[in-house]
Amino acid sequence: MLPGMKAIFVLIIVAIVIAMFWSGPSEAPVAPSEPAVQAAPADALTIRIVYGSEKQAWLEAVTTDFNARRVQVAGKPVHVEAVAKGSGELIDDVLAGRDQADLVSPASAAFITLANAQSRAATGGDLVAKTENVVLSPVVIAMWKPMAEALGWPRERIGWGDILALAQHPQGWASKGQPQWGRFRFGHTHPEFSNSGLQTLLAEVYAGAGKQGGLTTADVSAPAVATFVQGIERAVVHYGSSTGFFAKRMFAGGPGYLSAAVLYENLVIEANAATPKPSFPVVAIYPKEGTFWSDHPTGIVERPWVTGERRQAAQAYLKFLLERPQQEAALRFGFRPAAVEVAVAAPIDAAHGADPQEPSTTLETPSAEVIAAAITLWRSAKKPAHVALVLDTSGSMEEDGKIAAARDGAVEFLGLLNPGDRLSLMTFSSTPQWLGQNLPLASAKAQSMAQVGGLIASGKTALNDAVLQAFTALQADPDQGAIKAIVVLSDGADTTSTTTLETLLTRIDPGPESGGAIRIFTIAYGKDAASDVLKRIAETTQAKAYKGGTGDIRLVFRDIATFF
Amino acid sequence: MSDDTAPKATLLGKLVILLVLAGCGYLAWHFLIAKPTSTEPAPGAAAPTRVQPSGTATRIAVGYGTEKERWLKWAVEEFAKTEPAIQVELVAKGSLEGAQALLAGEQLHLWAPASSLYTATFAADWQVKHAATPFARSETLALTPMVCVWWAERFAALKKPPQTFRDIATLIAEPTGWAGLAGKPEWGFLKFGHAHPNQSNSGLMSLVLMAHDYHQARQLGMAQVMDAGFQTWLTAFEKGVAGLSHSTGAQMKEMVLKGPSAYDGLCVYESVAIDFLRNAQGRWGDLRVTYPAPNAWNDNPAYVIAAPWNSPAQREAASRFLDFLMAPTAQRKALDHGFRPGDPAVPIKEAGSPFIELAKYGLRVDLPQVIEQPSGEVIANLLAGWQRAVGR
Repeated sequence: MLPGMKAIFVLIIVAIVIAMFWSGPSEAPVAPSEPAVQAAPADALTIRIVYGSEKQAWLEAVTTDFNARRVQVAGKPVHVEAVAKGSGELIDDVLAGRDQADLVSPASAAFITLANAQSRAATGGDLVAKTENVVLSPVVIAMWKPMAEALGWPRERIGWGDILALAQHPQGWASKGQPQWGRFRFGHTHPEFSNSGLQTLLAEVYAGAGKQGGLTTADVSAPAVATFVQGIERAVVHYGSSTGFFAKRMFAGGPGYLSAAVLYENLVIEANAATPKPSFPVVAIYPKEGTFWSDHPTGIVERPWVTGERRQAAQAYLKFLLERPQQEAALRFGFRPAAVEVAVAAPIDAAHGADPQEPSTTLETPSAEVIAAAITLWRSAKKPAHVALVLDTSGSMEEDGKIAAARDGAVEFLGLLNPGDRLSLMTFSSTPQWLGQNLPLASAKAQSMAQVGGLIASGKTALNDAVLQAFTALQADPDQGAIKAIVVLSDGADTTSTTTLETLLTRIDPGPESGGAIRIFTIAYGKDAASDVLKRIAETTQAKAYKGGTGDIRLVFRDIATFF
Repeated sequence: MSDDTAPKATLLGKLVILLVLAGCGYLAWHFLIAKPTSTEPAPGAAAPTRVQPSGTATRIAVGYGTEKERWLKWAVEEFAKTEPAIQVELVAKGSLEGAQALLAGEQLHLWAPASSLYTATFAADWQVKHAATPFARSETLALTPMVCVWWAERFAALKKPPQTFRDIATLIAEPTGWAGLAGKPEWGFLKFGHAHPNQSNSGLMSLVLMAHDYHQARQLGMAQVMDAGFQTWLTAFEKGVAGLSHSTGAQMKEMVLKGPSAYDGLCVYESVAIDFLRNAQGRWGDLRVTYPAPNAWNDNPAYVIAAPWNSPAQREAASRFLDFLMAPTAQRKALDHGFRPGDPAVPIKEAGSPFIELAKYGLRVDLPQVIEQPSGEVIANLLAGWQRAVGR
């Protein structure tokens, strides 16, 4: 193949990979965060940065300082509006022009590379011409310190082979002399939606292939690699779109919920520095086979809405981020500074679970073709799910087009589930009604989508009864190797159930051994939804509570799909 | 050889070739004549017209190679203290990128690329477009050779420390990586990098030095560049290269920030290595500098652009900033940042010089053998062979 043709081929593959991987929300809750809360002066030149949510605390703090300085460009004070999003989501939004940001700052350079490839294919030019890394953090396996010590840490270097052995051992932690810890429970984000999830998958594939670079599609398709990846994936509690969400849930849920999760080093440091502290210290394990860096490249958007004045303002802000005080602040937030003038120091230390001398080596980022092959492998090797979709069809859903938007979102949700997953489908109004139970999606997806697409609304709202009935059905499923979850959408308070909320909460509470629990993801739909009740239901099962309306219900469903 | 397989230089590659030829000629002249170049009176020889503050500052944009970033950022801050009526904006531009930007009309008022290699070609293109010479003034800011910089712990762990590119090729080829090289499997593969030869002056210089080293020759001919053994060796070498960056400074910064997890070693300008030596301390251990033999010089010119957009006030402002850069204080600061000053009056062997203070890291003043100028045809085929080898 001629070099030019090869380049075009690679570009096409890259574009396909982008379309596959980052066409939806990622790395963040669906609802975008509010901009850093500061009123812009009346005469301000306001610019907008959208950034990966992992660095929200630091960026909001330093942006507040920047705005207070009233830096002048063209005689006007510059005001920066900083908005946290998922890395994939922010790139998608700016590429589509939905978000006319002046600066972007995703979690890793891969997003810039892929965004520029997509931009060049569409417009002939890059989305972002030049970037500067504003902070750094390596991808690590976060593990409770006593558990890491049971594996020999810090005496022994721990790698993916150790994780696999523990995941596959029928006695779990008992094989390490710790039967009270039960099974090994692992977590990482969805590789098709999240930077850290994709990097986890690639690390697993590398480890399975016994390589640290030069990964090929032949390596990915080797049976031994599939066995390796599947062995680890079967220990996964669930997936998700947000690395930060995993961190919060792990540190709130304790060792009974997750033994370990793939996070960024700064999240480990943040947890150990938090008040109150988690139930045990957490340590960052730098896999002995190598890892990846999250380097937060930040650059000015090459689009017409970034005028000369705005570009100048963006440059001033970027320069400010890289100055010593802001970089020292980044260090306090647990990031490794991107300015060489600021030395790595506390809290990048053992007291906060980190080792400043790690990582020792990194893995080579494979080609787009290899990444695509790894994703295909993951779809067949991932932990299967049994999802119960529970939809409110009470009469109020007829108002404001709610039932129509909910139908569309739910149909899209079913389309995103894996053929290896199983589905139970329930509607509820005055009483719950099963439309199907334990259906293999490989054969039942089309019919289920048709059923959801034809839902109509009438009657009252038996929310508690419906959730309890779905929960009981999933409990009866004998398959212990699947992610079990309920997704419930409701637009109003319970009006007719025989089950009280307290009874429901007692029944669904997994207790301290929450790792294998049935999770209930809730969607408070519309302005009249009982959002507090739904939040209590979700949090009792350590799942996620969403709020949505007709405008964003599809995005909510898509984000929930990343958990499976 | 068929057309399909014959190496061909890209347009950018051709520009690079011209750049090398012009630069080699310039370097030969520079070192034979051994005088600082200037089209203006030396600072202090004649009092230039002051830029009068007029309520708003005179703004100038300076295109520069990132290898000089830290020195120039210092200079801009210091200059602002003495010349508040002049606002200097630094715009990072690689050597080729800067020339192309100027030709495309980007309003740079002063241009300071990594070398003067592209000067003649740029001037000819400018003449065609503007029917005038592009430069109102030129100076040589500083000089620097190429070095390899390593993490000291890893360099010391090697059973046979590398002195040449052939040695490095052998290390890269070790199939078990650091496990076989030093009994350190946790270090992964040996990760060596250099800048992109089609995007960076230092990348092209690395490639030229590799060819010289492979053939153990001071002068390269077509037969040597087209030699099948060399092509195979180059392909294997580049396959094992850990990273290609458009910017030497950015690549060195990444090495310091990410440590040996990103790069065990890099081929960079000596000035870049020195500039980062102190900041690298206390992170991942010390750095170790070696000088590949044979070696080559890079100069660092600065040009006041005689462009239509460069008003007399801006030209004067640019010239005053250039005066500042060439003055002893800034030249000594350039030395602090690892450059061998363009002003021969500033000594590099006195106390306080990094060549003295940082000598323990392997710095040395005298260079090994310096290469002779390769022909344009040789460079063209070398670069085209590299493009074919790496597919980039």
